[in-house]
Amino acid sequence: MLTRHEQVPTGLYVRSVIVVSAFGVGALWLMRRLLDDGLYLLSSAVAAVTIFLVLVYLRRRYSAMRWMAIGIGITVLFAVYPILYNLYIGFTNMGSGHLFTKEQAIERLEDEQYLPQDAPTFRWLGYRKDDSFALLLVSDDGAVQFATDDGSIETLELTDPEAEQPGDINGYRPMATSEVAPMLDELADVAFGEPPTTIRVQSLREAAATVPRYRFDRDADAMVDLTDGTIYQAVEGSFVDADGNALIPGFMTGVGVDNFKRFLTNQNLRGPLTRALVWNFVFAFASVALAFSVGLTVAMLFEDLPGRRWIRALLIVPYPIPVLVSVLIWRSMLNPDLGTIGQFLARVFGSSPQFFLDPTWTRIALIMVNIWLSYPYFYVISSGAMRSISTDMLDAAEVDGASPWQEFRFISLPQILMITMPLLIASFSFNFNNFNLIFIFNNGNPPMAGTVIPIGHTDILISFIYKLAFVSSSTSDYGLGAAISVLLFVVVGSVTYFQIRATKALEAR
Amino acid sequence: MSRRRRSRRSWWWRYLLAALMIGFAALPVLWVVSASLNPAKTLVGATLIPKNPGFGNYDDLINHPSFPFMTWMFNSVKIAVIAVSLTVAITVLAGYALSRFHFAGKKHFMTGILILNVFPAVLSIIALFGLMQQIGDHIPWLGFNSHGGLIAVYVSFGMGINVLMVKAYVDALPRDLDESGLVDGATHGQVFRKIVFPMMRPIVVTVAVLQFFVVYGDFVIARVLLKSTDKLTVMVGLLLFQTLRFEQDWGIITAGAVIAALPVLILYIPVQNYVISGLTAGSVKE
Repeated sequence: MLTRHEQVPTGLYVRSVIVVSAFGVGALWLMRRLLDDGLYLLSSAVAAVTIFLVLVYLRRRYSAMRWMAIGIGITVLFAVYPILYNLYIGFTNMGSGHLFTKEQAIERLEDEQYLPQDAPTFRWLGYRKDDSFALLLVSDDGAVQFATDDGSIETLELTDPEAEQPGDINGYRPMATSEVAPMLDELADVAFGEPPTTIRVQSLREAAATVPRYRFDRDADAMVDLTDGTIYQAVEGSFVDADGNALIPGFMTGVGVDNFKRFLTNQNLRGPLTRALVWNFVFAFASVALAFSVGLTVAMLFEDLPGRRWIRALLIVPYPIPVLVSVLIWRSMLNPDLGTIGQFLARVFGSSPQFFLDPTWTRIALIMVNIWLSYPYFYVISSGAMRSISTDMLDAAEVDGASPWQEFRFISLPQILMITMPLLIASFSFNFNNFNLIFIFNNGNPPMAGTVIPIGHTDILISFIYKLAFVSSSTSDYGLGAAISVLLFVVVGSVTYFQIRATKALEAR
Repeated sequence: MSRRRRSRRSWWWRYLLAALMIGFAALPVLWVVSASLNPAKTLVGATLIPKNPGFGNYDDLINHPSFPFMTWMFNSVKIAVIAVSLTVAITVLAGYALSRFHFAGKKHFMTGILILNVFPAVLSIIALFGLMQQIGDHIPWLGFNSHGGLIAVYVSFGMGINVLMVKAYVDALPRDLDESGLVDGATHGQVFRKIVFPMMRPIVVTVAVLQFFVVYGDFVIARVLLKSTDKLTVMVGLLLFQTLRFEQDWGIITAGAVIAALPVLILYIPVQNYVISGLTAGSVKE
């Protein structure tokens, strides 16, 4: 309607061609580097986004895409790609010890150095220029060399530099011992001098020339240990020698549907996860139903009170406060020994419920806190809905002698429910994945007893995945976590599908 | 609804209920403010009105030797302001285009946004972590442990719902004005700048405020994508604080909670009517 073949003004077009070309060059450079790392999936995603942007901005015809392309590009790279990549991880062994692609693992192993028995050692003094470092090396026979971390080494004519440390050398300034000591670990990782034989800091006094320990034999697809000639063959994500010893790090490799099989057939996983799923539904449903009831009640009761503006402003207090802050406050108020509420309950009933140790009480507390967090939202939307329902039917009902309860039950409530249903369903799917609350309140605890996996009585699926992936770095199993999150995608996707269909059905009426 | 039919006599018990509800709503807030002013460091024996209230906890917090709290505050506000500005810029343009242009596949595109919108970012957190490591090897300011990367993730995941809200708003604006502008020979850019954008103020404010809540309040993504202590956001910092020294330094933690909540309150109070009508608009379809 509005536009037909409108052209982009020349000035704007020239500018966009320049920007797009610069962007394209940067993207090509990045893609090249990513391919070197063996990241083919990411590289293709970058390529797709680049081609899309170039096509959109190099056409002179004015189109809707010109207005949206940058947003689409960012979203594809940082939201859509992660979802797809997550799917891919679900089919790999990614996890502790298998974090890198094969190319990255080889590079890291080839970086590893070792100290041959007869290696020359030096005493050293540290030098620094901004973020780069250098060593002044004194060998046993008194020869002095200056080695930098960007690959250069030169011999200096100095006598006994240790007695009197020379000042600036080639723009590097000497470091005091007090400056060197705290960063010794950092310095130990830096290679000084010319590769392949590089010089590394061994201790506060000593440095030594080290050589690479491993070399990758591309034809044999194996790492060779140069110290003793052991061959480590690449098998299923690790480099393994004849005795079965694996090098660290291993690398990522496809494992087919193993992760899914492990999850779906493992009794140890399935029992606890079924319980988590049931609680997940109960939590989401109870939270929405109760918070909506509170919100609606508040809206009905206070909507026509004089001064309702003030009442509303005060009742919405919880809404803007960051969830983390609110839940931390509730956590401490409910602390059975020290919290205000805990102490109050202890005084009234003799003892306070264990809000963090007893599964049932933890669940009750979670739902109560969630009501506090979300009733202001439901209050706002249901008072909006109330204003939009017709009063004719209410007037008619009153004439017919209906009680206020009957008016509410049979006239107001059905209409309010119909208007707010899409939002209620949306809230359900939000709470189905309400990671924040579960995680901060008690991290899914108390833990279930007798399970082999880290899962608690109040864990919902999404918090369980997070635990599995990030709880302890020594046992992270990203592959399994990703596989479960793919299954959760399916659950969330179906809920959404019904949400969209229900919304459409409601709108059609 | 039936405003005129209720009698004045039933007011008192409704005021009583209102007072109770307000108590429920405000108690945690009063409590945290009181605890932060209480010079006793622990929870033990804390009363709602502290003895000898003072700002000692705030002093201790700001000058804490190992936790740079004010740096965290600065990081959070900086990240939120940049991410929200980008989100607003992108969604305002996209919303206008989706409302005023017709193009092939528009319907599928909208469905795509809707679907993307329901997938929580936490679900792909493992992939995000990997992605950021991989990018960070080559572009450090956009990778793991960088504010740039975090902002990019916030902007991407903030697109969905906000684009749809802006589009719905622009749909409801009268088209006569911008059509007459186009007839008079103005370009789309000019029509947007001079005519449509000035009318979009309410939706811009709503999107900005709601998105600020989301970004500023996030700790899940930030916790995984940031590592160095001096790069953390205040929410991640608070969480760290709380895990490390819960009962010992209770006064400091509550002071931190109060300061951390301030930016959103400062932002929210002047514009609360916009936000409330923005939320209500979702429930009231004409």
